[in-house]
Amino acid sequence: MAFAQRQLLSSALTPAAPPRPRRPVSKIVSSAHITEQSGSPSQITSSKEPEQWNSKKVFLFSAATASGSAAGGAFVFSLFSTPPPGNTGGGGGSGWGGGGGGGGNGDGGGFWSRFFSSLSPPARAEEEKAETGAGPEWDSHGLPANIVVQLNKLSGLKRYKISDIVFFDRRRGSTFSSSVDSLFEMVSLRSGGVYTKAQIQAELETLASCGMFEKVDLEAKTKPDGTLSLVVSFTESTWQSADSFRCINVGLLPQTKQPDMDPDMTDREKLAYYKSMERDYRRRIERSRPCLLPISVHKEVMEMLGNQGKVSARLLQKIRDRVQKWYHDEGYACAQVVNFGNLNTREVVCEVVEGDITQLSIQFQDKLGNICEGNTQLPVIRRELPKQLRPGHVFNIEAGKQALRNINSLALFSNIEVNPRPDEKNEGGIIVEIKLKELEQKSAEVSTEWNIVPGRNGRPTLASIQPGGTVTFEHRNIKGLNRSIIGSVTSSNLLNPQDDLSFKLDYVHPYVDGVTNPRNRTFRTSCFNSRKMSPVFTGGPGVDEVPPVWIDRVGFKANISESFTRQSKFTYGLVMEEITTRDETSSICTHGARPLPSGGLSMDGPPTTLSGTGVDRMAFAQANITRDNTKFVNGAVVGERNVFQLDQGLGIGSNFPFFNRHQLTITRFIQLKQVEEGAGKPPPPVLVLHGHYGGCVGDLPSYDAFTLGGPYSVRGYNMGELGASRSILELAGELRIPVRNTHVYTFVEHGNDLGSSKDLKGNPTEFFRRVGYGSSYGVGAKLGLVRMEYAVDHNSGTGAVFFRFGERF
Amino acid sequence: MAFVMAREWLGIQQFPPATQTRLIELLGKLKQENVSTLTILVMGKGGMGKSSTVNSILGERVASVSAFQSEGLRPIMCSRTRAGFTLNIIDTPGIVEGGYVNEQAIGIIKRFLLNKTIDVLLYVDRLDAYRMDTLDRQVVKAITDTFGKTIWRRSLVVLTHAQLSPPDGLNYDDFVARRSEALLTYVRQGGRLSKVEFQKNSIPVVLVENSGRCKTNDSGEKILPNGIAWIPNLVETIINVVTSGGKSITVDQKLIEGPNPNNRGKLFIPLILAFQFLFVVKTIQRSIQEDVRKENKSLWELRDVGVADRKI
Repeated sequence: MAFAQRQLLSSALTPAAPPRPRRPVSKIVSSAHITEQSGSPSQITSSKEPEQWNSKKVFLFSAATASGSAAGGAFVFSLFSTPPPGNTGGGGGSGWGGGGGGGGNGDGGGFWSRFFSSLSPPARAEEEKAETGAGPEWDSHGLPANIVVQLNKLSGLKRYKISDIVFFDRRRGSTFSSSVDSLFEMVSLRSGGVYTKAQIQAELETLASCGMFEKVDLEAKTKPDGTLSLVVSFTESTWQSADSFRCINVGLLPQTKQPDMDPDMTDREKLAYYKSMERDYRRRIERSRPCLLPISVHKEVMEMLGNQGKVSARLLQKIRDRVQKWYHDEGYACAQVVNFGNLNTREVVCEVVEGDITQLSIQFQDKLGNICEGNTQLPVIRRELPKQLRPGHVFNIEAGKQALRNINSLALFSNIEVNPRPDEKNEGGIIVEIKLKELEQKSAEVSTEWNIVPGRNGRPTLASIQPGGTVTFEHRNIKGLNRSIIGSVTSSNLLNPQDDLSFKLDYVHPYVDGVTNPRNRTFRTSCFNSRKMSPVFTGGPGVDEVPPVWIDRVGFKANISESFTRQSKFTYGLVMEEITTRDETSSICTHGARPLPSGGLSMDGPPTTLSGTGVDRMAFAQANITRDNTKFVNGAVVGERNVFQLDQGLGIGSNFPFFNRHQLTITRFIQLKQVEEGAGKPPPPVLVLHGHYGGCVGDLPSYDAFTLGGPYSVRGYNMGELGASRSILELAGELRIPVRNTHVYTFVEHGNDLGSSKDLKGNPTEFFRRVGYGSSYGVGAKLGLVRMEYAVDHNSGTGAVFFRFGERF
Repeated sequence: MAFVMAREWLGIQQFPPATQTRLIELLGKLKQENVSTLTILVMGKGGMGKSSTVNSILGERVASVSAFQSEGLRPIMCSRTRAGFTLNIIDTPGIVEGGYVNEQAIGIIKRFLLNKTIDVLLYVDRLDAYRMDTLDRQVVKAITDTFGKTIWRRSLVVLTHAQLSPPDGLNYDDFVARRSEALLTYVRQGGRLSKVEFQKNSIPVVLVENSGRCKTNDSGEKILPNGIAWIPNLVETIINVVTSGGKSITVDQKLIEGPNPNNRGKLFIPLILAFQFLFVVKTIQRSIQEDVRKENKSLWELRDVGVADRKI
């Protein structure tokens, strides 16, 4: 019956190239699941409330970063949501992440950067992997134990097992084999691995050319068990000490190609050559843009430089790690330290490619994933993108996520991917690719249901064996501008739908001021009908069942709503409606009735309509302004919400109704304790203060009167049990205390008719023997979506347990 | 509304001669004041002796009285003329039912009283009821809501069953005084009269004993335990109230329906609307703008647009 929607949001940052065994790839994988499940499918027919869909949303976010991967890593955010119509099986989606590899920006720079050449992946990585994966078979060295063997003395045919790798620093004269040292990263050989002589020699070459070492040598020491212990003896490259640090963004700067140094150059030529190099480099620094690195990190690096005398390769490596860590922590996933320049001067220049966006491309995909022409107009998507995703900005993963969320909120696409990829034509640039799969424009759906109503003794019973149901059709994204028509027809008895048929037809027209205009106004128009039981005609305590009065409304509504923020908006429009009041037998009634002690009915109650005929027609203007700056702090709502609603009668309709009906609601969610924000952290205790004033000047029919009592007015009382009046004041306070991952609360509420019950025609408050005011207090706990609360009705002093759906405030 | 032909007041002859003389004297006094009709409305809770009082005043059995059943639901008007003077007494059914004021009964009374003028209201209660509760206040309130506050300037409180021996050896006059005071307090509260207003136009309390076993004095007049002949006393007090000021209340359509709350303040709606727009909507709009300005932006949103200045 109810469809289930499932959405999967995943973003993954995967290393550009397949994991290379040469270098350790430390992976940070984080993932978060938010599962939200709402609504039970059972419905209560008498309430006539809008359908509750059983919706299920699953958000999955996972990110994996590979530190030290080559520049231009690629990641994919993807979002799949199965199209709602017809999908009844709970839906499903899967995210995949993958991406093209990025070419190395890292080398080819100045000769200062030689040592970083080791970062580029060696070509034989695959081959090596295959070999190491071959198994434990290895050959014994066949030499006496405990002798030092030169590398070239090893046999080219044997597969040696390396049992141990030891580093020997010649300058310090110390030996260490700890794997924590940054040097260890440089060597791809692993103790316990099996390698051939060629591999070990290649490793030596790589080490020698990486720039970290002035001199490096590999020696093998034979072990009695036939394995080799490898000794890497090295002299670390050092440069003169520096006292200042500069970080520059060299993205999009063309790499300077230096002419090869001719070995036959004279000293003079060499000097000229170095001078031109230096000049070139200075120009490069001048042309580079300032980078985003904050002063705090800058200072940290300066400290690192100050503590160390000479600038060593290991120090540069540390600086690189620190700088890169900051970028990656802040979401600049494409940022990469590519080079250190100006070594052997007082200043260390760190060259960073931050990942500047050079292009933003939006593509549509068909069901098979082929690129196709989309129906949606591009400005509709562009206006949802944060400006940080536009060309000229640095790519940030958070901006990508924001774009993903915003586009998802359009509800036009079944799959959204935001995917940065390196720009081949513009080195260091990033192209942000947005791939979208559109949902079907037209859909229709029929759903059926069997209603369950509370029967005798409150036991649920099947209302009837007749099925109820809904027929819905939708035409979305008309003209590619996100305009939509949605219609639905609901009946609780599909076999005999004329009994109670409720329909709704909505037309939504967003971007009234134009798609490119930042002003966000939406025009909506709808035809509707509804049937509700009037809480005005409800008995007070001790009054027997009051015959209910049903309020049927049929009408037309048109409004324009302007969004200022995600939650704050201003809506204004026109409503035209016909109101018919009916009694239990569905015949039109003009006055409320009350049972007399004699058993009869007194039929001279308050008039149900303004005209007195049981049918009213009227047109009025409606405005609503909502200011809502609430936000979630670890799952608890904190902030303020103010709502002012106004219905202004225009004197059009039965008895020329002219009125001003206004309501002001003020709710404050006060955080009582500062807490650290983050996933899994406990929410703060919150004090909720709520005030609601409603009043009306002019013609006020009973169906528009304000009622007191009920789960959204004064808890602990039934709907309308306290009274119905011309103006009301409700005050409430609630203290929410977090317990585990939910909260318990205690509340106090008061509702008052301000003595205005008599100003309502027929005084329904008094006619049905209601008090006109009431207080309540109680405690409750939130269990998922259900609130369980014990509320004490202060008028009678008795308490009761209630179960409610949704929030009070 | 059926027009009841005023009959000659024959019941007056039932009274002892002393009472007759006194009554005619009093009516003559009224006539001097140029008053030729007097309409008395009798109201109160059920079973207080309203109908009996009416019967006693007229000296006729006009309203059926039964000890255990409530009288009919309809009000009765009895008109009697004597020497060109017309006396109208309207007896009403009790307006309490099931512990609440019965609006239906009030509705019937109101419709019955349409186009009539009420000169005096007799609010009837029993002297021998010791306890007062909110119901009394509600009854008074219902009367006030129906006829307006001014009715209390033309009203008197009648305490029936006056022939009793006070409990606990209390002095009879003390008992009457205390009972009257208690009842008047409720009348004052229910009628929403201010203390000053109340003191200026004090509502007189009259004692009545309708029982056939009522003691009589030498001239055969029914007397109270304190020796006052109560029928002439009652009529005299009524005439005093009528002559002492206040306005008779004419019951018309408007009074029955009460002021239309839907029309109140209608003219001010444009003003209210302007106020709402200028002070409520604009204020909220301003605070929304404030929210937008103060919104906590993520660091990445600030950094790239030149706001951060490398501080973050």
